[in-house]
Amino acid sequence: MVQYSYFPGCNLKTNAKGFEETAIAVSKKLESELVEMPNWNCCGTVHTMTSDNIMKRIAPIRVLSRSRKHIEDLEESPNQVVTLCSMCNSTLKIVNKEVSDNEDTLVKINYQLEEDEETYEKDMEVKHFLEVLRDSVGYGEISKKVVKPLKGLKVSPYYGCMLLHPEEAKIDDEEMPDVLESLVESLGAELIMSPLFKYCCGSYHIVDQEDIVSSQVTKIVEAATKRGANSLVVACPLCAYNIDQQQKAISKVSSSFRPIPVFYFTQLMAIAMGEPIKINHFNDHFINPEPLLKDLGLTGRKKT
Amino acid sequence: MSYQYIKFGKEEKDFIAKLEKISGENIYSCYQCGKCSAGCVFSDKMDRTVNQLIHLIQIGQKDKVLEANTHWVCSSCLTCSVRCPREIDVAALMEAIREYCLREEPEKVKISEIPQEALEKLPNIALVSNFRKKTG
Repeated sequence: MVQYSYFPGCNLKTNAKGFEETAIAVSKKLESELVEMPNWNCCGTVHTMTSDNIMKRIAPIRVLSRSRKHIEDLEESPNQVVTLCSMCNSTLKIVNKEVSDNEDTLVKINYQLEEDEETYEKDMEVKHFLEVLRDSVGYGEISKKVVKPLKGLKVSPYYGCMLLHPEEAKIDDEEMPDVLESLVESLGAELIMSPLFKYCCGSYHIVDQEDIVSSQVTKIVEAATKRGANSLVVACPLCAYNIDQQQKAISKVSSSFRPIPVFYFTQLMAIAMGEPIKINHFNDHFINPEPLLKDLGLTGRKKT
Repeated sequence: MSYQYIKFGKEEKDFIAKLEKISGENIYSCYQCGKCSAGCVFSDKMDRTVNQLIHLIQIGQKDKVLEANTHWVCSSCLTCSVRCPREIDVAALMEAIREYCLREEPEKVKISEIPQEALEKLPNIALVSNFRKKTG
């Protein structure tokens, strides 16, 4: 059993509980356990692109430093901190790269960390859980653990921005990724390709410019349903919230709009691997995926 | 875009130098191919497209740049940055304009004016990222 230091980030404890619980359950099944690091703080969610602001870079480095300490308590743990949220993944990776390239920045940040008797020595690597699944576990191993192939589920992968941009943080080719596609296929679901797989959902504009998000979500969902998808798979809690919640709002005003459930990739894995349905926390979803799963005979109780 | 006068007084030069310092990019690397705007998923919501805004910076039209909504509609998805043939971090330039504004006037979003129920409903990932981008 390999154990990974796992950094949850803010949303996995609130809106995306199903994402975290299913990820931990499947990670144990795949002998690559995600163990939550103690005493973590928010990474800041978005990376600052300013060249002159050290303050906004301290939080992610603190996470890396604490994770470095955490791996000493773990079994066979590589020097890696694993994230589920794609925004955390991107923020941590970019800052890690910046301090590796720029000793001066690291010295300044370490000076700030000194107060808490912490320091960072550029010896951690940030990995998204999808990278662990692809590079360390392998799709073959995942297929072997599938007890309930997701037959009838027509899934369209939606990457969002932060898994593929920028260069320092991408987990796959930015224009032609295939990590979610391969994963979905290894679970026995049907793959539906959509050209809008990384068409930004509007991200944080949901707070003060909801109309932008609404228009983006309409396009993203329609591109997928037009090609026959009956669900979307995502890796980002903000994409998931925006698409899920906006679909409900859009269907209230447009009768022709057909909403489809949004799954985290780990939820699909948990369903296929026969984990109990309640760890998915489907009650947190706005478009309930259960009717669809029931129709396809995937809700836990075996069809007789 | 209609013909614009080129302005290079002290104020404009300072503005350009400040944007270059914050972003760490050279504004004159841009040769106006338009690839950033072509791939931008928000171009239809911007009153000036991304390359138009960069052009306005290049010719020192500070007021027109600051009046535009472009940098506030940009959500830093970084599609432009990964595609730019001149390897300019275009999204960092947008961030530099936002920062320029926020360092003068730190509340693009007034947190105290967001209704309580919205604050309770929205996920923390949305709130934190919004406030990081729209407050100084």
